[in-house]
This record gives sequence, structure tokens and C-alpha cells, in this order.
Amino acid sequence: MSLSRKGHASHSRRCLIGLPFSQVDIDSSRIALAFYCLGTLDILNSIEDQSSELDRETWREWLWEQHISGVYGTGFRPSPYVTPEDYKGEPSEYDLPHLVMTYTALLCLAILRDDFSQLDRPGILRFLGACQREDGSFSALPNGGESDLRMLYCAFAISDFLDDWSGIDVDAAIAYIQRCYSYEGGYGQTPSGEALGGTSYCAIASLQLAPDTPSSPRAGRLSGAQRLRTIRWLVQNQTAEGGFCGRTCKLADACYCFWCGAALSILGAGDLVDKRALADFLEKCQFKYGGLSKAPGERPDPYHTYLSLAILAILPSDHGDDESWKLPRLNALWNATEETAAWAREHIPAKARAS
Amino acid sequence: MSELLADDPEWADVVPIRQYENVNPIAPIFYSEEYKDATDYFRGVLKTGEMSPRVLQLTERIIRMNPAHYTAWQHRYKTVISLKIPLEEELELMNEIATTFLKTYQVWHHRRLLLTALTSIDAAARELEFLKTVLRADAKNYHTWSFRQWILAHFNDEERLWAGERAYIEDLLEQDVRNNSAWHHRFFVVFSSGIRLGDEDRDQMLRRELSFVKEKIALAPNNPSAWNYLRGALEHTNTPFSTLTTFVELYTTSQPPSRGRDEDVVDLDNPPPSAGAQLPAVAALEFLADIYEKEGGDASAKAVEIWKSLANEKDVIRKKYWEYRIRDALSKA
Ligand SMILES: [Zn+2]
Repeated sequence: MSLSRKGHASHSRRCLIGLPFSQVDIDSSRIALAFYCLGTLDILNSIEDQSSELDRETWREWLWEQHISGVYGTGFRPSPYVTPEDYKGEPSEYDLPHLVMTYTALLCLAILRDDFSQLDRPGILRFLGACQREDGSFSALPNGGESDLRMLYCAFAISDFLDDWSGIDVDAAIAYIQRCYSYEGGYGQTPSGEALGGTSYCAIASLQLAPDTPSSPRAGRLSGAQRLRTIRWLVQNQTAEGGFCGRTCKLADACYCFWCGAALSILGAGDLVDKRALADFLEKCQFKYGGLSKAPGERPDPYHTYLSLAILAILPSDHGDDESWKLPRLNALWNATEETAAWAREHIPAKARAS
Repeated sequence: MSELLADDPEWADVVPIRQYENVNPIAPIFYSEEYKDATDYFRGVLKTGEMSPRVLQLTERIIRMNPAHYTAWQHRYKTVISLKIPLEEELELMNEIATTFLKTYQVWHHRRLLLTALTSIDAAARELEFLKTVLRADAKNYHTWSFRQWILAHFNDEERLWAGERAYIEDLLEQDVRNNSAWHHRFFVVFSSGIRLGDEDRDQMLRRELSFVKEKIALAPNNPSAWNYLRGALEHTNTPFSTLTTFVELYTTSQPPSRGRDEDVVDLDNPPPSAGAQLPAVAALEFLADIYEKEGGDASAKAVEIWKSLANEKDVIRKKYWEYRIRDALSKA
């Protein structure tokens, strides 16, 4: 069977146009959803055939409207879901930027090939600093909210996009990551938490992203034994069905194929995955009208669709001359196609702007 | 749901404020009339900063339609504090919402704020009981378990809080021996959160843990959660894997060892696999190979033999991994 590229692209396109009320809980993380949809189109090389220049122009404009500033610095809010109708660019104390939204907004804008001339770089650095907590972790909002490895990863990725790590205390953050290491070899969401696929990706990618510091050179962040234990646990999560589970003894789920598979790839162990079995599992997760679901027979959604395609791009398997499975190379650390990552590298850092 | 606030005289003095939306938004949500109505009034309330009993009703109304609406939660918490609502009452009121929306982070964050403000061991103990009922509905819910661990560490009371945890975990593993969250919680309670009352003798504690996990392995030899716990306990206490060779060998043969005439003499340190268990257990083979690898010398060849059989026959989905283990061991030899 082949990869239903058309179906997945039009599923993403449909979600970008609008969502039913049953998905109202997406409202407080809408930019993340936009990233999964645009990312899917990017991997499928379908941005241009699924949108017009005018669509892309208005999407960029909408994204920049979520770029807001306050005493905490500058970042992106999820959507205007608490913004009053008479909004004139002055956000209220309730209308706050969010770390995950800031990370995904920057990726969306790179996919849409924005020139980033509107980006308030010093403001973003202040915002990152405002989100860092005393224990080294990061919270989603400058005044609190979820504080865990996912937010930390976003802060690291944003610092790397900007090529400027001066907004945050890297050593304190690395110490926090290490407190999340579990006896199983994976990382919990917070210190002493159960090893979990998604946060293990966040931890491993973050340890790789952060530049050397005097007290934490990159090479010293993971001991040999720790690394082996992590690889063992990640590999153990591939189930007989070919997909990955996110925790020991759970069922395979398409999103964990990405989180575990991409983590292995960053550790230089992507080849230890049974890629054919992985592709066979994801093939069965395809929904007949487009999109991929977490497991065969379930309803598709943009999150599982994007992550499935992303891992197929990172860990491709041999499908002979079936061209449908051919996907562009993906940067596993940033979670973007290499072309989009190159655009971001060229346009997001301050020095890129000066030159 | 009840009628719109726009038709409710009690809300007549509040000016509803519609949501700002640019002409061409990404992924707009087609709001229901009720949701639009409630959030219009909520924006009105945010503008005036109102904190009143009716604001509590309004935020609850929104949360029931959209439990991820974190601004509604934030404003609700501020209102509870400002009105000096008894915090136990708010916790109690939120029980049903927590059970209905247990997969939503905000539900648990709200409870955490309330408990932090309460600073009461009684409330913390009651909360642990409440969480048991939640975990009955979803025994592996990640948020619920993290929250439980937070309560234990934050209030840190041996007799009232920590003391009951091991027995609770044993109940859960009785129901599902593959509940990795329960195994993880045991590791947290026993090894990674300080020394529990009664566990001061670390050797005795380790003996107890090893005999507990061996018994669970005997019951279900192909349970990765139990094997991971065993490995974790040994590594955490710097105990060589080779101290368990006799036990592990009971699980690496294809036939359960015959009990013969000694049937009545049970070796408590080395419980055999239960009848009908699928043997050899992959995890036991892996464990034995690790012992051989560590031993080195002639034993290395035995490790390689085991890895080959895992790669080619017993655990072929991880073929590449076992081959990597062989390469890795040979490169170190
Ligand atoms: Zn999933």
C-alpha cells in the first residue's frame, strides 16, 4: 500500500480552514495545531498546491497578530481567544504569550517563508527569561502554568533559532533535565516522573541543542551507561505491531513512533529501529479520507498526522519504486524539514538580519 | 445547558465583549451559541476585573465546555482566593470536574494551587484518597500520578502520607501486574524520595524489594515493567546483576525446571515461573547476557550466543539492536 499523500494534505488543509466546536479545547493551543497542519503540508511538499499566495499572506498576518509584548517581554499567544473585540495591539494582563506557541509560531512562519522583519528578538529573550523558574525548568506562561520538560525544550529550540542563549540559565536547565532521568532510562515530564516518550525526546534533543558551557560541556551531559540505558528503553518501546508505545507496557501509538524514533535518531541510534515494521504500523494508521490516527481504526487528527509523517521522513524504509513514501530530510532536533530549518537559520537570528 | 447569559437579568449589568478576530484566521473554531455567550461575558468580566460568586458560576460554565481554557481557571482561582471561599469546599466542588476531565492538565494544576494554599496534612491525606478513586477509572493517568507524587513530596509526612503507599501499590499490581505507573511509583516511594520510616536498614529493604519483584516475575515472566524495576533496584544500590544468576536461569530455559520430589521445598529466594508461563523470557535472556558480558573473558561468547538467538529468533523486531550489542561487546573485548 502507498502513503496517501493527497488525503493527508487535504486533511491538513481542511483543519486550517476551520474546526468543529467539538475541538474547542484546541483554542488555547491553536498555533500548535497550525504547526501540525503546515508541517504536514511542508513534509508533503504541498504548501503551494494546498494554498494560494493570498492564503499564505493572511496566515502570516494572523500569526504576527499573536506576537504580543508586555512587561514579560515578547512572545506568541495561542489565539485571540481571550482578546476583546476592540483590541488595538495592547494585550491585557490575561492575554499572555505561551512558550509552546512561540516555538511553533516561529516554525509556522519559517514554513510560510516569512522574512521575520517583525520579530522582536530582545523581547523574545526577555520572555524566555521570564518563563524560567528557580529550579531551572520553564513554565508555559511568564506568570506560571505547566512547568516541565516540554516547555524547557521549546525554550531551548527558540534560543537555538535565535542563535542566542543569553536569555536563559542553561546550566540550571540542564540540571533540571538530569533530575527527570528515570531508572528505566527514559525521562519523566518532571523530576521523579515516570519515563515517557515525548518528554524523553524533549530531554535528549535539549541536551544536544544547548551549547557547551564551562560547567557543562556537551560531551559530559550523558554518561555512557546512561546513554545505553536510554537507547535500551527507547528500543524496547517498539511493540510487536511495529509502532512505539510511550511508556513500558502500553499500546503502540503513532505519536510515540516520532518521540521515541526521533530521540533514537538524535542519539545516533536510529538504525536500531525496525523501520519496515514501523512503516507498516503507520500505514495502517492512515484514515481512508485522509490523515493518520494514533492507532489503526481510530479517528485521525493533525497531531498524529504530522508526527507520523515526520518520523517516516527521519527513518525512511525501503519501499522499492513506490514514490509515495519519498519524503524530504527532516531536522530531528528542531522538528522541521531541512529546507525550512535552513530558512529559519538564515532569517531568525539577529545577525542574519544585520547582514 | 441552561439558557444564555444574554437573556439572564442577573447579568444585565455586564457588557459582553466579543472575541477579536482577524478576517482570515488559521483554524478558527465554530463556536456554539452557548460558548460564545459565556466567553463574551467572561471577556466583559476580565475587563472590569470582577471577582464575585457569579464569576465562579461563569468560569465553571466555561470550564465544562472547554476544560483547557486556562484563563478561566486562572481567574477562577483568583476569585476563590479573593472571596475567601473555604478551599476545601472548592476542592470538593471540583471533584466531579476532575473525574470527568482527568486528562486535562489544568484540572490538576488548580487542585495543586488549592492544596498549596491550604497547607493542611489532613487535606493532603484526603486528596490521596480522592486520587485513588480517580485512578480506579484510569490506573495509568500521567497527570494523576505526577500530582500524587507531588503531594507526597510537598507535604512529606511519613505517618499520614507515605506510610500507606506501598500497600496501595501492591493492591494495584494485584489487579494489573503490568501497570508500569504503579511500578514507577514504587520506585519513587522506596528508592528516589529519601528513606521511608522502617526502611533505615537498607540491606533489609533491598532484600524485601528483590523478593517482591521476583515473585511478580514468577507470576508473569514476560512483563518488562517488573524486569525494569529489578534492573533499576540493582543499579540504584550498586548490586551486581550476577547475584541473581540462579534466579534468572530459571527463566532462560524453554522448559520450566521440573520440581521432582522436592516439590514441597520452595526456594524463597528463587521462585520458579508459574505453570503455563511462556519461556524462555526475552527479558531473562537479556539479563543473563548482561551478566556474561560483565563477567568478560570466556563468558563473552555466551553473551554473544544469547544476543544472536534474540536477534534471529526470539525478539526479531529488535534484531538491529541485538546485533548492535554484539558489535559493541566485540569492540570492547
Ligand atoms: Zn498519540
